[in-house]
Amino acid sequence: MCFKTLPVSFDGRGNATLRGGANPYGYTNSTPNHVEVTETEREERIKRLVARNGHIKDLNMDPITRIAGALALHVQADLDNGEYLDAHAQATLFRGYELILMGRDPRDAIFVSSRACGVCGGVHAHCAAYAIEMAMGIKPPPLGTVVRNMEQAAEMGYDNPLHLYLLAGPDYSESVIKASNPELWPLAESWPCPNAHIHGFKKMSDLMVALNPLTGSLYREGLDFTRLSREIVVILTGKYPHPQNVVPGGVSTTLTLQTLNEFHSKLGRIFDYAQRMMAVWDDIPAFFYEADERYMQVGSRPMTMIDAGYWDDPYAYDGTYENCNEWGDKRWSTPGAVIDGKLVTTRLTDINIGLEEFVEHAYYEPSHTTRHATDPLGNPLSPWHPWNKRTLPKPGARDWKDKYTWSTSVRWDRRAVEAGCYARMIINAQSRKIPTSDFIESTGHSVRMLVPKGEVGEREVEWHMPDVWNAFERNRARAHHYLYSQLVGLESLFEAYKLFQQGERQVASLTPEELEKAIPQDNRLGVGFWGAGRGWLVHHLEMDKGKLTNYQITTPSTLNASPRDPWGNPGPYEEAVMNTPMIEDLSNPESFTSIDMMRAIRSFDPCMPCTTHAYTGDGEIVREVNTCSCGGD
Amino acid sequence: MIDYHNQHRDLIPGSPAQKLLEGLGRAVGFHDLDHIGAFGMPTGAYMEDMLAPAAIATAATRFGPLEKVHAFWFAGASCDGCSVAATGATNPTVESMMLGAHPGIPRVILHHPVINMESGAHYMRAAEQAMEGTLNAPYVVILEGSIMDELLAFDQGGYWSAAGEEPWGKGGELRPVSTTEWVARLSINAAAMVAIGTCATWGGIPSAEGNPTGAMSLMDFLGKDYRSVLGVPIVNIPGCPPIGDNFTETIAAVCYFLQGFGPLPEFDELGRPAWLFGETVHRRCVRGAYYEEGQFAHEFGDPECLVELGCWGPVVNCNITSRGAVRGIGGCMNAGAACIGCTMPGFPDKFTPFYKRPPGSLASTTVSRMTGSLIRPLRKFSNNNLNREVRWDKTGEVTSGFGREKSDPGMLAEVTHHFYDKMRRFNDNATNDGAAWGKIGDDGGDGRHPEQARGFKSGESSKKAMPGRR
Ligand code: SF4
Ligand code: SF4
Repeated sequence: MCFKTLPVSFDGRGNATLRGGANPYGYTNSTPNHVEVTETEREERIKRLVARNGHIKDLNMDPITRIAGALALHVQADLDNGEYLDAHAQATLFRGYELILMGRDPRDAIFVSSRACGVCGGVHAHCAAYAIEMAMGIKPPPLGTVVRNMEQAAEMGYDNPLHLYLLAGPDYSESVIKASNPELWPLAESWPCPNAHIHGFKKMSDLMVALNPLTGSLYREGLDFTRLSREIVVILTGKYPHPQNVVPGGVSTTLTLQTLNEFHSKLGRIFDYAQRMMAVWDDIPAFFYEADERYMQVGSRPMTMIDAGYWDDPYAYDGTYENCNEWGDKRWSTPGAVIDGKLVTTRLTDINIGLEEFVEHAYYEPSHTTRHATDPLGNPLSPWHPWNKRTLPKPGARDWKDKYTWSTSVRWDRRAVEAGCYARMIINAQSRKIPTSDFIESTGHSVRMLVPKGEVGEREVEWHMPDVWNAFERNRARAHHYLYSQLVGLESLFEAYKLFQQGERQVASLTPEELEKAIPQDNRLGVGFWGAGRGWLVHHLEMDKGKLTNYQITTPSTLNASPRDPWGNPGPYEEAVMNTPMIEDLSNPESFTSIDMMRAIRSFDPCMPCTTHAYTGDGEIVREVNTCSCGGD
Repeated sequence: MIDYHNQHRDLIPGSPAQKLLEGLGRAVGFHDLDHIGAFGMPTGAYMEDMLAPAAIATAATRFGPLEKVHAFWFAGASCDGCSVAATGATNPTVESMMLGAHPGIPRVILHHPVINMESGAHYMRAAEQAMEGTLNAPYVVILEGSIMDELLAFDQGGYWSAAGEEPWGKGGELRPVSTTEWVARLSINAAAMVAIGTCATWGGIPSAEGNPTGAMSLMDFLGKDYRSVLGVPIVNIPGCPPIGDNFTETIAAVCYFLQGFGPLPEFDELGRPAWLFGETVHRRCVRGAYYEEGQFAHEFGDPECLVELGCWGPVVNCNITSRGAVRGIGGCMNAGAACIGCTMPGFPDKFTPFYKRPPGSLASTTVSRMTGSLIRPLRKFSNNNLNREVRWDKTGEVTSGFGREKSDPGMLAEVTHHFYDKMRRFNDNATNDGAAWGKIGDDGGDGRHPEQARGFKSGESSKKAMPGRR
């Protein structure tokens, strides 16, 4: 492992040290060298084109619908050459959670931060619990961890179909194809679906009708399966989306044999559906790639992404930062950073210390600090690392050259990294570290999965690393992640049965009184490494004298919705849009719908519900916390 | 073109809504859709028109005068959890309302950012028409998330939460329009204003102690005297998240009333549907009997009453234990989770820190511990008796191979149960034995197997059989 840009070197045992020199983290001392087009070059080019060509449209789409939360996109579209010359993603929502959590009892963080996002509500509650456990030195009993895994697997069972059929699916439906890509319709009517024997749609046109919003059978079935998975979740959590059962040190679920049996019988209904889902999202790319190769460029960007891992090994997880690389490696989904398709590390400490957050183009004032020069293990930390973060929100005018969004620029090793549930597929395919399972196998280049028998027979499926990374592959990988997550749910359920057999019933390590006594009075740091429906989710916190003194959330959509960084590199949405060709008929500029740009954006599954930062009003920060769900920071 | 600036006069004087519109200044004209063309319209049609063929019904099958109603869904300081909760509803479902697929419900034309096909300026068109008064049907506004003080951000040239843009900036420039502004403007012509979720109903977590955005509830924003054009004050459906069914059912109930076949739905003094929020959640809690018997969970995961783990159920208006969270399943205490009062105006600050027993519970748990210690053994005693067939009492043997039942209840128990049995039959005057009622013959007189009938011949209970026909 080595960083390409950050001034950090590693010794043979993986311990990191800061390379010398004055101000090693300075923008000019550590400049990423992967910048392809600089901001100035981009601007010059647009100026030249505008001078030559009247068909450059300056368009702002606000709001973008069929995503969660508030996102707008500004583009400069060259309709003559069918190109998006420039793109700016804007997270348009800020909520001030920071001061709300500030100075609070750490026990409040679970239920308060849960409200950061209601689209994947459970994930924040869990992530907060992990951060608190690390800070307070609490280790949940195995059954507590197993129940959390079950909840979080089931939550993915809601999340993935919601996206694929309610949010993204309509973009490939008959209603859109006939209006935006009419040339594809006759083709779809004669194109036999290779997976017709699995999903039942003979021709692509039949499948597209089924994707129609509200009236299509796949849309409706998807919605209903989100409900089934929510039922599974609430057996354990009480309610949805915000779980009511997560406690520091475990869960408070009263686990009976009925709980497990109900979980089992409901989960059992999912596997047939998972087969159909993968079949649908395998056929869609096949059809589009065949119809026009340019579809491979829709939403494309380098396969550069990050994930903090998901679903703990109940016997390995001990809640400590000291051992996080060991327990991280044992997760059902391995943590990892992928640069240009290659897995460069699976160590949580590397992932943590490579993290920075910049605010040059966001509605905040920069105020990074050096209060933590290293992490608790002595690895160097950047002044822009969440534990060092000092951010002052400042609503202001929109200016594409200056500030234009509530989302910060999150970078890892100063690169724009993408987050998604599909990052788990990409990392697990390569890591070969996932636990031994009858159902899932990491081959080093693919993920092999055995679908248990339902009403239709069992089947082996294999997800391969794609050659290109684009909108279609995101959706395909998400459909496979659906199965992956449900298999983790099944494995975790078996683990719960096993613990039950052994007479194990304890789901939390502390009673409420013990918890109250365990709140430390000295200064502590904590970090929850977790995941969401969109991948990566990390909470950093600091507490002192038994109260929270800093709380920072880095969400997947903050990574993806990032604006430009200090070096002018666009965030993943922006980059993906600029790489998207306009395939629709452009002969009449009036009828330009920008469908491919929307396919690109939606394939990320944007989820923007919240943005929060501290603001004391007088410019001086007394205390600052940041809980943000998705999108903003 | 109309300058909507003067709209603030139609709002309650002195309300934050009125002050906001007054402070925002000019609002002239809307988007130029000609300039925008099909940008953001991938189906070439508005959602309303796309769904119309599937959704339109005749007056006969919709049972009433109302053909359709628009519903504008806005998200303020929200987490989108209320939207998620609403899509989880099954009684009725959101999609059945949108498709008019539910007899009696007019077709609901929902303008929801998570559902609609049109984006950008096209998505905002219906809201513009609602402002202009040119929309083709009455509309309701549904707010999720709290209202933030946008004047604070506007003064710095920005916003906290925006939904679309309009040419209301300096010199007709497009400027982001905040959710708060939309809600204020649309409240003027709305048929009803509905707040969903605790953020919108009472401010919720975004308005908790220490918040920097000045977040508040919809009621606080529009003012006590606010009335919709139908004369209705703000309707509140709280919960964090709310139960999806509580929301869709309330909307449906109002529709049934407007269609002329449902009763007038009753709302309580805080605008909550009274039939849903009239009871404390404790009253229908699945663990309520543990409370009654004085048994309390000590560790997380214990099956007993959760009050000492921090449950506020006895003083919280909520129906989740009886209604469930999704399709009747779940519920906080059902799963083992203590109530933190997420439906209440005092949430969260009056319930924190969490996982700590409510101080006020001490008196009542002490009392229930005392009475419980008396009642529990008595109940256990009766329960033992009822766990025995009458035949086992006679034969003195329990035939279950699991052998969990004690075969001999013991002398004292037998006497007591006998006495109890007498009490139970105190008013029963039938003293004839079974033969007198024609019950005992070769076939038992009532079709029973002779052996079965004979079994009762000598038994006490056959003498005390229910009086029957002769
Ligand atoms: S768990 Fe809560 S609501 Fe249920 S009986 Fe106990 S105090 Fe009441
Ligand atoms: S029981 Fe309490 S925490 Fe649960 S939904 Fe009702 S009010 Fe909220």
